[in-house]
Amino acid sequence: MKKYSYIGTAQNRIDAAGKVTGETKFLADLPVREAVFAAPVYASVPYGRVLSVDLTKARKYTGYLDFISAEDIPGVNEVGVILQDQPLFARPVVRYVGDTIGLIIADTATAALNCARQVKIDCEPYRPVFTIEDSKQMTEGFLHDSNLACEHRVEKGDIARGFELADHIIEASFSTPAQEHYYLEPQGCIAVPEPGGKISIIASLQCPFYVQKAVGRVLGIPYAHVRVEQAPTGGAFGGKEDVPSEVCARAAVAARKIGKPVQLIYTRNDDIQLTSKRHPFTMQYKVGVTKAGKLVAAQILLEQNSGAYATLSSVVSYRASVQAMGPYVVPNVSILSRSYYTNLPPNGAFRGFGSPQATFGHERMMDIIARRLQMDPVELRLKNIIRENEETVTGQKISHGAGAAETLKRARDAAGWNSSGTSRLSSDRYVTALGVATCHYGNCLGAAGWSLDGSAVHLSLLRDGSITVAFGLVEMGQGALTAVAQMTAEALAVDIARITVLPTSTDQVPDSGPSVASRNIVMTGQAILNAAQKLRPILRTAAARLLDCEESEVSFAGDRASNTLTGAHIGFTELADFLYLNNYPMSTTGWWHVPSLKFDAAKGAGEAYFTYSYATHVAKVRVDKLTGLVKVEKFWAAHDVGRAVNPAGIEGQVEGGVTQGIGWALTEQLVFDEGRVISPNLSTYLLPTAADSAEVDTAILEFPEPEGPWGARGIGEPAIIPVAAAIANAVSRAVGKQFYQLPLTPESVLSALSSISG
Amino acid sequence: MLSVSNTDYFDLELTVNGTPVRRRIPTHLRLLDFLREELGLTGTKEVCGEGECGACTVLLDGLTVDACLIFAVETHGMEITTIEGLSRNGNLTPLQQAFIDHHSVQCGFCIPGMILSGEQMLRDHEQLTREEIRQDLSGNICRCTGYQKIVDAIESVSRDRR
Ligand code: FES
Ligand code: FES
Repeated sequence: MKKYSYIGTAQNRIDAAGKVTGETKFLADLPVREAVFAAPVYASVPYGRVLSVDLTKARKYTGYLDFISAEDIPGVNEVGVILQDQPLFARPVVRYVGDTIGLIIADTATAALNCARQVKIDCEPYRPVFTIEDSKQMTEGFLHDSNLACEHRVEKGDIARGFELADHIIEASFSTPAQEHYYLEPQGCIAVPEPGGKISIIASLQCPFYVQKAVGRVLGIPYAHVRVEQAPTGGAFGGKEDVPSEVCARAAVAARKIGKPVQLIYTRNDDIQLTSKRHPFTMQYKVGVTKAGKLVAAQILLEQNSGAYATLSSVVSYRASVQAMGPYVVPNVSILSRSYYTNLPPNGAFRGFGSPQATFGHERMMDIIARRLQMDPVELRLKNIIRENEETVTGQKISHGAGAAETLKRARDAAGWNSSGTSRLSSDRYVTALGVATCHYGNCLGAAGWSLDGSAVHLSLLRDGSITVAFGLVEMGQGALTAVAQMTAEALAVDIARITVLPTSTDQVPDSGPSVASRNIVMTGQAILNAAQKLRPILRTAAARLLDCEESEVSFAGDRASNTLTGAHIGFTELADFLYLNNYPMSTTGWWHVPSLKFDAAKGAGEAYFTYSYATHVAKVRVDKLTGLVKVEKFWAAHDVGRAVNPAGIEGQVEGGVTQGIGWALTEQLVFDEGRVISPNLSTYLLPTAADSAEVDTAILEFPEPEGPWGARGIGEPAIIPVAAAIANAVSRAVGKQFYQLPLTPESVLSALSSISG
Repeated sequence: MLSVSNTDYFDLELTVNGTPVRRRIPTHLRLLDFLREELGLTGTKEVCGEGECGACTVLLDGLTVDACLIFAVETHGMEITTIEGLSRNGNLTPLQQAFIDHHSVQCGFCIPGMILSGEQMLRDHEQLTREEIRQDLSGNICRCTGYQKIVDAIESVSRDRR
């Protein structure tokens, strides 16, 4: 195997020192001069028409400065990221509790919040809908043109014929709930008006280029007049994909009108009430299988609760539809995925993006099928798992690096998997069991988002041999900065200590698309390789002159350039100085885009994503039959990442993903009352603590992806995707009853235990 | 007893990170806001404001408290250590260094509180098992790391000093 200097070596995070000393300044820690403060004013009814907004009481408050609303928008009142269905400031129709009507501006943050509470909004209420079922039943008064936000289909083979070939046809329905991101740092930004009608934004966000476009449209100014910089961001998980466009564009409108910097930071309660969640899904699976355990047909209906606006529903639905049958070969398939508007906060991007939901469907289904066939669940999976040169349900041939089967075997062996599945503990009260789940994850944006799937870096060599890298994606906790430094050092064959990764800003690099879909390693890595390829001839020419040899005789390694014939060498510092003094160009932009994808959207046929990551998780659970409490005791996670860039970072992603998945599976419950979140606090919305999370044993497998940098693929999202399914499979095996819903609360476990049927 | 000279303001004297501090402050000011707004010690974070997350953990006379839950006036005459006060002259504490070496940090928002809780845990116990660390740490929420590498860091310091 080829040896790399930095790729594959555990690297300490370059941002860790500032974070352990408290020096890192997050948005709320930044001093802002002359700033005024904003607080949102939003609908308190889930659906209705605003008749009047009464500011009388708010205006009397000390500190009140202004009220910003739809009339103040110089450009378009529209912030929908894909469909143009979402106003920046709602007027006159409001579609969820939290639909923002305006901003109060005051001289302190506290005054702004207090004033916002004093605003009286008079509404003519409409009849709201909260569930997918009610949304479908609605016959008039739709939220938008209709209540259907989007739909996607995947058709393969002949579904009727497929079911004829089946010895068993097994049907089941599942549902999964919303999940709140609960990033510890809330949404926030500072919008600063600049001379000449320009504007600068600094914000906690994932997608600076989304914000740039949103702000430009809303203010009616060229995108070139909008500069967006990312502040160190205290967690995001998809929750800061499109939502910051709203937050920043609102603050921008205020800053433009008032002529002063505007700080808008959501309170925790507002953050939860106003912003996106993981889409709740209902799923119907009908799967045909032969006696020998070969899948022959799958008919699947996936329905999503989109909430009040479409936001990213269409791409969540797309991803869920093409991944609905997991990494298995099924010749005859008919999948329909639909998203419905309701009067809840808009659901959107959350780590996994429809995959954890669909994986709950297909992986529960695989266990139910295995039970019917009296076959070991791992064996059933291995019989059907996709291997090289086989086709996905969209008919895409996987030609390279399908490590799915190996992840299954690795996790199975590590966990000491036993077919019987359960072991009773000393008392009758506790029973433990293992559960397995496998998934695949299409990397980057896929056919539905190909036009956004290009990314850039800008590399600059400085005279002293230090190097700056600007990249267009962001660090949000996942370790991007460190991976970018590693990849740059590797690509240029220099010491990593030379590298400084700059904070992400729209004026440093071309539009690089969103920091989502586990795409940073692949996109930025390839862009770095492209930039290095452009710099290399320049470095080579200069080195040849310095070493007094032919260019073809120069090689680069270990922080220096060498003459391969004589062994003479010069250090990179000397080389940089020579470049500088001889006016060589010392910076360049690297660019990479995902190879074009052939996909027929009407049939859902073709290349859905350019490559897939694979993972298998095994959960060990202990069920207390007296209380119904489920404790996850241990997790084994095997991930095919193509090539590990920073193994320690991968483990961190997996451990964090597993813990977030445990929360979704067992304790996190977002409770709404007439569209209002009534479980916003940590005492009511239960996040896993250190005592609730499990030790994770992570195995990293490397089946290189030819289109990935050094063979790498993404890891951020696969880390959470199979978790809840593995836990539900384990609990089902432990108690001998099938579970069809999340979360697996003590109540649901006890009620399953007391029911008669299995 | 506190001598409140005026109903709204109070002359607070205390030691913060080894330095004596005197400030006239509103009596209703939370310790968290005093540290962040008055002293500019922004390493102490606010997440829940309700004593549930531990992000605002500081040491008050050596014991961990949630700075969002107490008023600054309650700390009169006492000694406070925030995350900024742990490292001296750029020298990290063994636990801070362990957080770097064990890859315990992701977004970093929970980390100041985690480290201060860990410091107290290490002071209180000669030895710590992973299970004890997990139990003791359950007042500090992290949404990124899954805690495992945070437990690794605390465990390693506990082990190394034996
Ligand atoms: S902010 Fe103080 S405990 Fe959460
Ligand atoms: S590192 Fe992000 S919350 Fe702990």
